[in-house]
Amino acid sequence: MEEKYLICEDSLEGIFTGIYKAYSLKEDHSRLHIQIGEEENLRLFAEYIPIVPDAGTAVRVSRTIQRELGEETYISICRALASMDKQKGEAVYKTVVCGLQMQNGRQVMGNLTNPYVHKVFELNRGTNNEVLHLMGFLRFQELENGILFSKIGPKNNILTFLAPHFADRLSLLNFVIYDDIRGIFVVHPASKDWYLVTNAEIDSEMMENYSREELEYQELFTYFCHKIAIKERKNLNLQRSMLPLRFQEYMVEFRK
Amino acid sequence: MNYKVSEEMSVMEKLGILTDAAKYDVACTSSGVDRKGSGSGMGNTVAGGICHSFSADGRCISLLKILFTNECIYDCKYCINRKSNDVVRTSFTPDEVCELTMGFYKRNYIEGLFLSSGILYNPDFTMELIYQTLYKLRREHRFQGYIHVKAIPGADPFLIQKTGLLADRMSVNLELPTAEGLSRLAPNKHRKNILAPMRQIQNGIKSSKNEIVLYKNAPRFVPAGQSTQLIVGATPENDYQLMTVAENLYEKFELKRVFYSAFVNVNEDKELPALPGGPPLLREHRLYQADWLLRFYGFKAGELLSEARPNFNILLDPKADWALRHLEMFPVEVNRADYQLLLRIPGIGVKSAQRIVMARRSSFLSFPDLKKIGVVLKRALYFITCNGKMMYNTKIEEDYITRNLLTVKEKLPFDKDGITYKQLSLFDDVGFTMQPNIIDTHKAVLGQM
Repeated sequence: MEEKYLICEDSLEGIFTGIYKAYSLKEDHSRLHIQIGEEENLRLFAEYIPIVPDAGTAVRVSRTIQRELGEETYISICRALASMDKQKGEAVYKTVVCGLQMQNGRQVMGNLTNPYVHKVFELNRGTNNEVLHLMGFLRFQELENGILFSKIGPKNNILTFLAPHFADRLSLLNFVIYDDIRGIFVVHPASKDWYLVTNAEIDSEMMENYSREELEYQELFTYFCHKIAIKERKNLNLQRSMLPLRFQEYMVEFRK
Repeated sequence: MNYKVSEEMSVMEKLGILTDAAKYDVACTSSGVDRKGSGSGMGNTVAGGICHSFSADGRCISLLKILFTNECIYDCKYCINRKSNDVVRTSFTPDEVCELTMGFYKRNYIEGLFLSSGILYNPDFTMELIYQTLYKLRREHRFQGYIHVKAIPGADPFLIQKTGLLADRMSVNLELPTAEGLSRLAPNKHRKNILAPMRQIQNGIKSSKNEIVLYKNAPRFVPAGQSTQLIVGATPENDYQLMTVAENLYEKFELKRVFYSAFVNVNEDKELPALPGGPPLLREHRLYQADWLLRFYGFKAGELLSEARPNFNILLDPKADWALRHLEMFPVEVNRADYQLLLRIPGIGVKSAQRIVMARRSSFLSFPDLKKIGVVLKRALYFITCNGKMMYNTKIEEDYITRNLLTVKEKLPFDKDGITYKQLSLFDDVGFTMQPNIIDTHKAVLGQM
């Protein structure tokens, strides 16, 4: 029998629609695969089926996952799907299959001997670690109009996981977080809910119009970081391993 | 207010001096309490704590760690701020501390404030200033982020109580593990005065927890618990004494954390040891490893060290060292051993032990599975079986395993020593009774000893 590849869009919606389609084919799951984006190396004896993302279908799949595999598993899957890894669709699909076959699907994420579950576990951890890192490493700069603006360059698509933390923390302030890699924004108007903005142009001139105090605070903090280090313990390797250069690039205290 | 403030000094200069003066305090965590924002102020806290940056020494920057003032009436020999030192003295005003904290916090530079202080005039006066600062920050600026504050030994218990209701964590530094060491290096401090506020905070936390059960909205007293710090290597106490003190602090005072601070000789006092090899970082590292074993792995100080073996092995981490002395317990069958026993296996940490317990519900675990779970097989393989089989044909023999463990280079947080210890493993003698310092090991390698 030939293998079937479902080509899905790189989004929660796209992959969940793909999973729905895979089930509706009623074939052996081991012959079905989910692939993200355009097919790269076409295989002989394989069929490629393009999947059009559909919001309604995706919602049904997400409800099934939440009901059968539990809320915690669902969040793990969402985080795994925010990863930049290209195998994530296949891993999530096979993890769902594994979970639905188990007597208690809520324990699926403990089944680390299953390679797909392990993959989802790793992707989830990777995304989560990046979220935790950026909760600390993200820097806001105050603009002339009082808005706090931050630019980040995350490996994974983590804005939606990062936003709730800052919305809770700075609920009375206006802030914007910009994902430099994907060109998407999180916008949080003071005392209101945050939302995502895609396909918007960044007004780079406005972003460099700092408030009166901004540069002074940057200088104060840079000086603080310098003073807090104990020179007898100097250890730049340790610093770099705790705070990789890809984060330092966006942080005011490391700006030369 | 009538305390000395150098009016002409800028906030920048003050920040420099008072950060410099605070940096030797190692407690810079922002963990221990989860608190959502209220929607009417600024800030929240996260139970795991958040690191916001890392300084050039590789230590985490989580809180704005400053002294309120570096003026001090005491003359502790190890302290840069002692009254006999000729250094520039300055003080913040409560407003300056508040503005710095808020300005840093909203830019996400910090997780909160760590406020310590030299003793200005007397303990009560100093504690009052700290209290006022916290009051302004919490009530006027509506700051809801993390606050770690020092309880000043000898201050009025009522002031400490009031301050504790505004702070998340409080700490009193024990500094030196024995009363004898303390009286030698800190002639103005008394052990009794240090332990009294510690006990007060402990009782305060307990009764606050009881009140919360009764009245949900009762103000919380020091919800993130209290901590303390011990200086390592300024006095001749051995590791066993340090660990016993730490264990007592955890058990009798219910401390959340004990921090260890490798002594940095800033004063060149004749009472202090010269440390030509720099601060005793490896020793500090071993103490932290052992501290983890006490808190999360169910070990007792008496299991790790004894009067006869009072110091940690420099070549092996305390857990591997313990395992080698208890080979009669190994190998352990990973698919059956209970959680507590799994934790005692070198190469298995808290997380991997939890994952093992979870994963073996659905299937038998093999060695490749363990590797995926995060077990460090290079270390664990001498101590475990999977389905009754060991990974390789290895001997359960102390010398043999020691030799093999030493060839797996231990990951130390400081690079400059790595090579030295690797070289040292050529000598098979691990029964050092005296703790060689870094200089000794350098000399040994270079053949000068």
